[in-house]
This record gives sequence, C-alpha cells and structure tokens, in this order.
Amino acid sequence: MIELFDVTKRFGDETAVDGITLRIEKGELCVLVGTSGCGKSTTLRMVNRLIEHDGGEIHLDGQPVRSFDEVTLRRRIGYVIQSTGLFPHWTVARNIGLVPRLLKWPRARVRERVEELMRLLGLPVAEFADKYPRQLSGGQAQRVGVARALAADPDILLMDEPFGALDPITRETLQHELRELQARLHKTIVFVTHDMDEALSLADRLVVMHQGRIVQQGGPIELLHDPANAFVESLLGGMDRGLKEAALIKVGERMLPLGPRLLASERIAYGASLSQALSVMLWHQVDRLTVVDEEDIPIGELSLRRLLGARAS
Amino acid sequence: MKSTALDARRITPLARARRWLTPLAWLALLLLSAGMGQLEWLFRLIEPDVRAVVYRRSGFFALLGQHILVVGVASLLAVVLGVGAAIAVTRPAGRDFLPLVSQLASIGQTFPPVAVLALAVPVLGFGTLPIIVALLLYGLLPIVRNTLAGIGSIPAEVHEAARGMGMTAGQVLRQVELPLAAPVILAGIRTSVTINIATAALGATVGASNLGDPIITGIVNGNTAYIVQGAVLIGLLALAVDSGFERLLRRG
Amino acid sequence: MAEGRPPPNWVLLSLMLGAAAAWLTLDAVSVAANRIVPGTPHSALDVMNGWPALLLAVPMLAVAFLAWRPHDKGLRLSLAAVVALLTLLPLWLSAATSVLVTSDMPQARVAIGASLWLLLFLLLLALIELRTRLGLSRATAWLLLIPVVAGWWVALSLWLEPLALLREYQARSDQFIGALGTHLMLVGAAVAASLILAVLLVLAMRRHAGVRRVGFGVLNFLQTIPSLALFGLLLAPLAWLGARFDWLASIGVGGIGWAPAFLALLGYSLLPMVRNIHVALEEVDPAVIESAHGMGMSRRQVFLQVRLPLALPVVLEGLRITTVQAIGLTAVAALIGAGGLGTFIFQGLGQAAMDMVLLGALPIIALALLADALFGSLSECLRPGGAA
Repeated sequence: MIELFDVTKRFGDETAVDGITLRIEKGELCVLVGTSGCGKSTTLRMVNRLIEHDGGEIHLDGQPVRSFDEVTLRRRIGYVIQSTGLFPHWTVARNIGLVPRLLKWPRARVRERVEELMRLLGLPVAEFADKYPRQLSGGQAQRVGVARALAADPDILLMDEPFGALDPITRETLQHELRELQARLHKTIVFVTHDMDEALSLADRLVVMHQGRIVQQGGPIELLHDPANAFVESLLGGMDRGLKEAALIKVGERMLPLGPRLLASERIAYGASLSQALSVMLWHQVDRLTVVDEEDIPIGELSLRRLLGARAS
Repeated sequence: MKSTALDARRITPLARARRWLTPLAWLALLLLSAGMGQLEWLFRLIEPDVRAVVYRRSGFFALLGQHILVVGVASLLAVVLGVGAAIAVTRPAGRDFLPLVSQLASIGQTFPPVAVLALAVPVLGFGTLPIIVALLLYGLLPIVRNTLAGIGSIPAEVHEAARGMGMTAGQVLRQVELPLAAPVILAGIRTSVTINIATAALGATVGASNLGDPIITGIVNGNTAYIVQGAVLIGLLALAVDSGFERLLRRG
Repeated sequence: MAEGRPPPNWVLLSLMLGAAAAWLTLDAVSVAANRIVPGTPHSALDVMNGWPALLLAVPMLAVAFLAWRPHDKGLRLSLAAVVALLTLLPLWLSAATSVLVTSDMPQARVAIGASLWLLLFLLLLALIELRTRLGLSRATAWLLLIPVVAGWWVALSLWLEPLALLREYQARSDQFIGALGTHLMLVGAAVAASLILAVLLVLAMRRHAGVRRVGFGVLNFLQTIPSLALFGLLLAPLAWLGARFDWLASIGVGGIGWAPAFLALLGYSLLPMVRNIHVALEEVDPAVIESAHGMGMSRRQVFLQVRLPLALPVVLEGLRITTVQAIGLTAVAALIGAGGLGTFIFQGLGQAAMDMVLLGALPIIALALLADALFGSLSECLRPGGAA
C-alpha cells in the first residue's frame, strides 16, 4: 500500500507537484495519466526517492519512505522506464539478475530466478540469455526491463511510460501481457502514461493529473461516464467516449442465455468487447450475434438493443 | 537561421568588431612581439653572459612572413586537394575509393608529423619546398577525414528530400552537403593549420628559415634568449590563428 | 539488375597498374662504395637481366586483371598474391644485393630506391583495400603480416648486410637500443602521469564547474602552442631552477634534458586524456544511470559496475590518442637533448645522412602504428555489448 499525504515538489520557482493526496491499495494497478509536464513522472519518482519530496509525506505500508535507507527501499520496489535503461555492457541474463545479485542471493538461485522470469515474459532462455541489449527489438528490450524489475519479487512496481516508445501492435501485446501478469502476481503497480487508451485498458483506477494536481480519480467506466471537467473530457476523447467505454466491457457481461429462437448466423467470442461486437454488426448489417465460448460452442446471444442497453443498465 | 539574420541586423559594427577582439588582440601582440629586437635590455636579463642576446641573422618580421607563407601555401593547397578528394570519393563515380581513402586518412594521422617531415627530406632534398610538400601531405589528412565525416553524417532523409525536391547533384552538393558539413570541415582545417604551424617550425632543422630558426640556433649555441624569442613568436602566431578559427567556428 | 557481372574494382586496378609501372621504370636500389660517395642507381630491370623483376610484375598484373571482374574468390586470390609479393620483395632485394655488391666493395651500401618504396606503399594500400572488401577482422590482418615480417627478418639477418639502413643500425646498435629505451620511458612516464593527473582533474571538474571551465581553457591553450615553442619556453625557467637548486640539478633538471621534455609531453597529453575521461563519464546514457539508481544500486556500485565499464572504451581511446601523440612529440624532444629516437633524425639531418634519418623515423612510425593498433583492439574488446 502506498499513501501520499499532501505531497509537494518544487524545482526552482516551478511547482511540479502541488499538494497531492493519494492512496494506492495493495494489489491495485493505478495509472497516473495526464499531458506531459503534469507532474505524473515526478510523483512516481518520489515514491522510490529518485526525487525527494519537499512537503507532505509518502508512506509505504504505513511507514514514511524517508525512514528507509534509499538503496534498500529501491531494491524492494521494481522500476521500469520508457528507454528501458538496460545496461548495454551486460547480457540479458545479467541485466535481469541485477537486483537479486545486489541482494546477495546465492548464484544458483539467481540463475533459477532469471530463467523463471524469462519464461514468464516469453523470452526463450537459450535464445536470449546471452544476447546484449542492442541486439534486441524494442518490445524484447522492454520485456527484459519488466523482468529485471520483477526479479527480486518486489511487492510494488513503478512503471514510467514503459511502452511509450513501442509501435502500436507491440504496445498492445505488452499491455495484454501486463494484464495477464498482474492477474497472476497481484503486485501493487503505479503506471504512468499520457496515452488515455492505454490507461483505460490497464487501470483498476485512473488518476488524472493536470498542472501538478489531481483533477479526478476513479475506475475507467466511472471516469468515462462522469468526467469532472472539460479537461478530463477532452483527454477521454470527447465523442469517442462511447466506443472507448464499449471497448472496456466484455460481451459475456451483456449477453442473454440462448433462447428458443434460431441461432444468429454471425458469431462473436464470449471474451470479445462490446465495441468489437458492434463492429461485427455494422459490417454484416445484422442486429443479433451468437455468443460462443473458447471451443466455439454457442452459449448465448447478444442483440443490438441489449448492446445499447448496456448504457442504461 | 532566421534568428541569426535578425541578430546580424541588430548588431552594430562596434559589437561585430568586439567579437573578433580575442583574435585581434593575439594578432596585435604577435606584431608587437615581432618588434622585440628593441628589447635588448630585457633579454640581457636572461642571458647576461653572451655577446648577442637578440637574434639578428634575419629580422623577426621576415621570419614571421616566411613562416606564414609556408603554412599558408601548404594549408591552402591542402584545403583545395583535401576537400576536393573527399568530395570526389563521396560521388557515385568515385565511391569505390571511399573505404581506402578514409582508412588512409585515419591511418596516416598516426604517423608523427616529425617523421613525415624527416621522410620528405631524402625524397625532396633540403629547403623550403620539401617542407611545403610535407606539410601539404600531412595537412591533407585531418581535412579529408573531417570532410568525409561531415558529409557522411548528413542524415539520409535530408539527402532524399533534397533530391526529391528536384535538386541536381551539383545543387545538393553546394546548397546542402557543403553548408551542413562546413563546421566539421572548418574544424578539420583548424587542426591541419595548427599542426602545420608547429611542424613548419621544425623545418628549421631541414634548412628552411622561419620562426623555428631562432629556437634551433639557440639550442645549438646554448642561447636561451634566442629560444625564448622564437618560442614566443611561434606561440603567439599559433594562438592568433587558432582563436581566429575559434571565432569562425562559433559563428558557423 | 539483370547484369550478373560486378563492375571493375577501380581501386585495385589502378593501384596495381601503378605499382607495375613504378616497379619497372623507376630506380629500385642504389649502390655506393662507402658512406661518403653518392650511390649509383639501378632500376629493377637492370638486375640479372631483369627476369626476376618481370616475374614479380606477373602477380601485380594478375591482381589488376582479377580486379576487372572482382568476385570473392578472385579477391582472396589477390590477397594471397599481394601477401606473396610483400614476402618476396626482401628476397629480390637480397638477390639484387648479392649481384650488385661484389667482393671488392667491403664497405658497400645498398639503399632502397623510389620504386621499391612506392611498391611497398602501393602494396600496403592494396592490402588495406582487400581487407576492407573481404571484411577481414583485425586479427586476420595481423596474421597475414606474419609471413611478410618473417620474410624481411630472414632476409635482413642472412643476406642484407650491405643494406644502408642495416649498416647504419649495426654501427650504433647499442645507441639505438638506448634511444629506444629512452623514447619508451619518456612516452610511458608522460602517459602514465597524465592518466593519473587527468583522473584527479576530471574528478575535480565534476565537482566544480569553475575548475572545468578554467581547466579546459588552460589545456586547450597548451595544446595550441607548437611543440618546439613549448619545449623552448620550458627551457628557460627550468635552466634557472636547475642553477638555483642543487638537488634539482642532481636529478637532471636543467635547461636541456628530460625535464622540459617530460613537462611538455605531460602538458600535451593532459588535454586528450582529460577530454576523453570527462566525456566518457558524462555521456553515459542518463536513462541507464537512472535505472541503476532506481534498481537500488549504491553510488559506489553505479560507478564501479555501470559508469566505469561503459566509460572504459572511451578512456582507452584517449589513451590511444595520447600515446600516439606522445610518441611523435618525444621525437621532437630530441632537439632539446632529451634523447630518444628523434636523436637519429636530427643527427641524420645535420649530417645529411638519410639512412640515419630513416633509422630514427621508421621505428617511430612503427611504434606509433603499434600503439594505435594495440589500444584500438583493446578498446574494441571492451566495447559494451561485446563483439557479437
């Protein structure tokens, strides 16, 4: 659990972070989102004390971060940044094993852990262990970056625009992988991004920042429905909000059980989103879809009314 | 680009002259020092026991002129040949020679200039000509190397854009490649001239008469006053020229 | 591109045609009865009716022919031909010497002439070109030079006694070894001292911006002063110090000698060293440093495990520049009585004895190239990310 009480940071005359109070629960994926210069990265870096806060207090599991030795503190917190910061003179395996080695784990255990993480992040050990960072693609390098941050099994993971420099397809894949990883590991993650789509698709809770202050916070649907002001609304994409929301809701949540009627000719997967369902309807000019499970067995149906009604319910 | 044009308009002639203050100050000091034949009493302090304390075999202005002439001719030729060669090997027709020329330019720079000067003598004999040739050959290397580096570092997009706009090969060279590479080329010329001024002084050992002369004569005869006179003048010449380049580079 | 045939390699073609032309027309050797009299020049075709010279011209023309339609196999063949030529040249020289120097000329001296020098130069250029085209590694290139060096070594030790350069060396081999030692000592001492001083200076510069500004200003200023002038300017105060303090004079500090040479060398060496160490430590990717801190590395760990290994190749590059520069400057230092290989150059120039000049100049060039290659390959080995 991370708590910020009235935290302030000034750089010279500029106030980068202006009295932020925030509580991030254990196992929560909290996304700080906002335009560049809004203070989101500064906030993140004050948690592991790469930047020291000027005013207020930051607590980690109830203890002020200043009470920890900064080096010990950082070894307990995973940290991932956009440009990966992988050490160019070390192999992938050595990069991933950094923190365990700093913590003086026995050599065999470090190697075991490194291999476990490489498998977890889809990096075949034989192929990648001895490569150097410059031999990796952007996506691969960022996987190594995440593996390195997870190496000592920290409770908390800080991620500063980790996928910002990747192409859209790789970015989406890694977002998906992060969601799956989080479903298994239940870390407390603070994730900074300026990309609202990324924020909406990852966040348990969004914290929108502007000019060093928190403008609004809440779950993705909550924000979409009820933006606090015009700034948040514009960040959310104005007229596209409907589609954005539909992208967050699964077909399974809105479908009805199979009725007595004939099966509709077009099918949609149980786990697909409402926006995908809408797209299928538009494309085939139908108003009813058959919902199928992973084995392609029909388990329900979704009508256009039902799809639209989602908003009302 | 636009801002420098605006700045230039706002700058008064006085301010413009002030930018050249450092090189001009060195130059003035150099010319003043060339008149140090008058300062016999001062050098008397360094060498109280010898008869002649001021180098008189030829005037300091003549030596300075000789020095500048040798370095000037060699450097000018080196610039023409060096930049020309680098341009030639970066054109499609000469590209075959690019790897060899660029390797030669970097390997050649590991040769100590003294050794090059010494090797020129058996081939060319004593006197001013071998020095000019040696300076020219050695001075080529940094110029070629920097011109190649300057042209080579121009991003491919810039090149493509220039050609895409319909510029001819000559226009691309004159209006895009050379202006963009100019600071790097100028830095190469500066290195070349600095080395040449120093190496030319050594030419006194192979029979050229220039500012190295008083130093060599002083060393041979154990006359420290001569050494100081030559050393001060060469040092000031080098500083004046170098600060001139510094000024040029900062504008570019 | 329907055309299957590669375009001619104009570089090799012109190098080899030039080499053949120079070889067959210019003077290859000159023979003098003793050190004083001028030599009689001979072209390669004069020796043994010219057939060995023509035989050697065959591989040159063959390489030129292969260069007309270059392909991988042809280039490898050319490489073999060039290495063979470089190895055979000393043998030809030996044969020429044995024919031209008769037993009634015990003091005879054979000097290498323009065509042989030019041929050597052009063949080395061809070697560089072939190495680039074939993408050979540094190590392979060195291996290729082994037969060449062996050929020259065998010829020099067995048959080339009348070679002027060798005679010059034999006349003063003790002096040569001594000069070489002095040269290496001066270079080594100056480079080592500048490395230590530069590290201290950079540490101070990283603390205080003022030190950085002034430091670079002074070092740039020093670097601009021509070597002869700096040596000269140091003579006067050191002579004064030597005359004033006996203990300084007793360790050799005086106007002339090692002291001004060492100080000037140190001054010149500091700029490239400081600049490279400074750049090396400053320009490590900030993201790498940040993530190192973010991972919980202590300051010491960040410096020793991240900054230093990443900086090392750049520092080595500084060491390379400094060493190569110092080798050349030490030659100039001979003028102010510091000894070293430059002594031969300036004595030779003074006596118009060109072979003596070569005795100084060639080893200096060899030393510079060797230092360059040594540090170059060392920093290549240490390049971050390894050679993969």
